[in-house]
Amino acid sequence: MTTQNREQGPALLIELVNQTLDPGYAAAAARRNGAQERPAVPRRAAAALAAGLIGFILVAAYVHANRGAPRSAKVHDALVAQVRTAQSAGDSLDAEQRGLTSKVDSLRNSALGTSDASGLQREELLAGAVAVRGPGLQVTLRAPKVSATPSPNTRQGSVALSAVSALSDRDVRSVVNQLWASGAEAMSVNDIRLTPTSAIRFAGEAVLVDFQPITAPYVIRAIGAADALDTGFAASDVASRYQTLSAAGAIMFSFEEEKSLTLPASAIAAPQHASVTPTAGATR
Amino acid sequence: MIAAVALLAGIIAGLVLHPTVPGSLEPYLPIAVVAALDAVFGGIRARLDGIFDSKVFVVSFVSNVVVAALIVFLGDKLGVGGQLSTAVVVVLGIRIFGNAAAIRRHVFRA
Repeated sequence: MTTQNREQGPALLIELVNQTLDPGYAAAAARRNGAQERPAVPRRAAAALAAGLIGFILVAAYVHANRGAPRSAKVHDALVAQVRTAQSAGDSLDAEQRGLTSKVDSLRNSALGTSDASGLQREELLAGAVAVRGPGLQVTLRAPKVSATPSPNTRQGSVALSAVSALSDRDVRSVVNQLWASGAEAMSVNDIRLTPTSAIRFAGEAVLVDFQPITAPYVIRAIGAADALDTGFAASDVASRYQTLSAAGAIMFSFEEEKSLTLPASAIAAPQHASVTPTAGATR
Repeated sequence: MIAAVALLAGIIAGLVLHPTVPGSLEPYLPIAVVAALDAVFGGIRARLDGIFDSKVFVVSFVSNVVVAALIVFLGDKLGVGGQLSTAVVVVLGIRIFGNAAAIRRHVFRA
């Protein structure tokens, strides 16, 4: 690199910083020789046109920059409102169904004989169709707080699935299965009663219990012989696995005996297609 | 004076018309804005210096916008549009700063 080249760089920058006014103005002034004659009309009109164009460009840019954001926010708000109304409609329908069911139950119990009624109640208890209460175990699974900043390797706007949900349906399912195995008689996940036909699934980023989405923390309540449940669950592989994960700080996991747990009734309707075979006892 | 009135008229026209920027022109918008601001500040400074010239004002504004757009267009074709538009913004930004400082010296004598 020659000396001339080395000085050219800074000289360019210095000129850029010092000579901010277009040199054309000075040149024009020199040509006019300081005479302040009024410019011709077409020139003044052209200057006015250019100034108008400048103002228009600035406002166009402002409008353009500020138009997109509120619109997407509006769409988002509308969607949120739609989801909220759908949820509240679902909740009110659910409550209505519960009220009607309890009315039907009381009418039926008054119509049935005592032995029939108690038999029916037992069946309902087994099927999870009524709210139940009793001692048991409460297991809590909680995902740790994760920072919302996506890792630089992912595409913009996408968040790695593992970063959002450390816990999945598999975790909830394994705890539930272990509790059944340890002798639970009735169970609920986040106040959704599990029935013999319940499914715990995973869709997108939400755990679905009987098609109702639930989010962390997952609270699993099981009614059963509290001591036996506690010992059985504490000694299981599942509990030791989550204890290890919790010790490593990956999740938060705890379980404790409860004197009295109340589980809601399931909202699942009675089977419509399945019916008892005529020779129920004889099959197999 | 006429230029200032015309600038205001342009702003009002923009607010009333709510122009939509076509998608193909979108990359040139920041360049056009910076070139326009440069022309405005340069014009005000020249006016305060007493050497304002409407022809220079018009020609410098139009040529700045055209050259800047051309640079960005070429850069887009060659895959360096973003970097070149940054360069244009930096150069014109320095000029805007210098002119603003000169205007400040004129107005506040400081």
